Amino acid sequence: MTFSTKGPVGRAKGLGSAHEGTTHWWLQRVTAVALLPLTLWFVISIAAVAGKEREVVISWFGDPLSAIALSTLMVAGIYHAVLGIQVVIEDYVSCEWRKLLFIWIVRFLGFFLSALAVVSTLVMVLIRFMGTD
Amino acid sequence: MVEFTLPRNSKVQKGKHHAAAPTATRVKTLQVYRWSPDDDQNPRVDTFQIDLDQCGPMVLDALIKIKNEIDPTLTFRRSCREGICGSCAMNIDGTNTLACLKPLDELPDTGKVYPLPHMDVVKDLVPDLTHAYAQYASIKPWLQSESPTEKGQERLQSVEDRAQLDGKWECILCFSCTTSCPSYWWSGEKYLGPAVLLQASRWISDSRDDATGERLDDLEDPFRLFRCHTIMNCTKTCPKGLNPAEAIGEIKRKMVERRT
Amino acid sequence: MVSYVKKRPLSPHLQIYKPQITSVLSITHRMTGIALALGFVGIAFWLFAVILGDEYYHPFLYFFSTSIGKLALIGWTWALFYHMCNGVRHLAWDAGYGFALKTVTWSGWLVVAASLIFTLVAWWFGACCGCYSCHCPATTGVTP
Repeated sequence: MTFSTKGPVGRAKGLGSAHEGTTHWWLQRVTAVALLPLTLWFVISIAAVAGKEREVVISWFGDPLSAIALSTLMVAGIYHAVLGIQVVIEDYVSCEWRKLLFIWIVRFLGFFLSALAVVSTLVMVLIRFMGTD
Repeated sequence: MVEFTLPRNSKVQKGKHHAAAPTATRVKTLQVYRWSPDDDQNPRVDTFQIDLDQCGPMVLDALIKIKNEIDPTLTFRRSCREGICGSCAMNIDGTNTLACLKPLDELPDTGKVYPLPHMDVVKDLVPDLTHAYAQYASIKPWLQSESPTEKGQERLQSVEDRAQLDGKWECILCFSCTTSCPSYWWSGEKYLGPAVLLQASRWISDSRDDATGERLDDLEDPFRLFRCHTIMNCTKTCPKGLNPAEAIGEIKRKMVERRT
Repeated sequence: MVSYVKKRPLSPHLQIYKPQITSVLSITHRMTGIALALGFVGIAFWLFAVILGDEYYHPFLYFFSTSIGKLALIGWTWALFYHMCNGVRHLAWDAGYGFALKTVTWSGWLVVAASLIFTLVAWWFGACCGCYSCHCPATTGVTP
């Protein structure tokens, strides 16, 4: 611990206000609202295709409307998760550079997983309509 | 990482036992956190048996009795003994409250008395509130008005506008809520905590104050304000029955409102 | 908190603070959120396996037919419903409703009960009303 001669109020003020945080907080809520109906639909979908062969999954999610719902769900869900995990990291990791590193790793993972999910869904639409495998 | 365990110098050890007189029939046992800066010992928990027939009804009465009759070195803050000064805030039986408002009857046979959680201890039940007070000072807890008043006239406020301050002005700054908040435990250096944010909201809500926007500017920060995750321990523990979580929610909504 | 006087001890916190309905439900919200995030990683790879082919898809099928896989899935379903129900509770707070201490308590217990009921209903729905009994496109494999 560093021993500082800075006065108590100066320490409380620190580096001043970042003038941000509202966007993060708001987007967490916006994605949450979007996820409510999408999640219910997803649970029904999973109940329908759980334990079935690939063809069943492809015919369910390869439907264009379902594909749109699934892509939206995955993107909104992963975004919601990245925002949430950022807060968890900020809460529990006190070392500044580690904090930044972890947050960036989570963000890149989020981009990668979103891309993976969206491309997979698009390919399901293609397989369903082209009939090729 | 944030430390979830206590540092080595803060681990609590077993302390002394002070038995009640054998004639006592109704006995309550209090386990009290002790630490003195005058030696190099770790904190310890002393046990005091209190004869309830020889003691006032509140936990504060028991602490005063201990100090007067058993161990004069026991150190704690107290003043009004009626819940208006906020001095005797401490952790009693696992939650924060005022010792003067907490009846001994509500404690189990063995009650535990600790200082406010996750604070530097000055001595025994006295926490160092310097940083919390400085955070309070940082929100400029006074009226900032640029509107001229007629000479010699006070600033008027309608009954409705005055009602906006209800549930906020009553706060006695005992910091029971702030030190019940896990977010404040982990991020208290930057997070203002429920008590200070409740007061920030008190000035933001004041119709006579002209600095609303500047106040919101100063609060808009991932740590100062948005470390509040609506855990609600603050509202649960407030000995005055106030609702800091609701006031913080109000500030967050104003943050959104001013950008839409 | 940084000490002015270095040797001052830190007062006990997690060690002594009694578990509150407020904080316990809150940390559960956080833990279920993390579980759901991990689940999303799984779902993304599951979707990828579906388009890659049986050799990638069948290990998933096998894992979820084992009891560990089923247990994980049931746990995840509960986490999903808990996080969703408590999320609605949070949205109500954010909108300015439900802050009274009594409301906080009953809405908390309601969330716990609802999450369990939803989990049961979802698994009952999956088990009994799975799509073999009705004629939805998933099982009949209708293609336009």
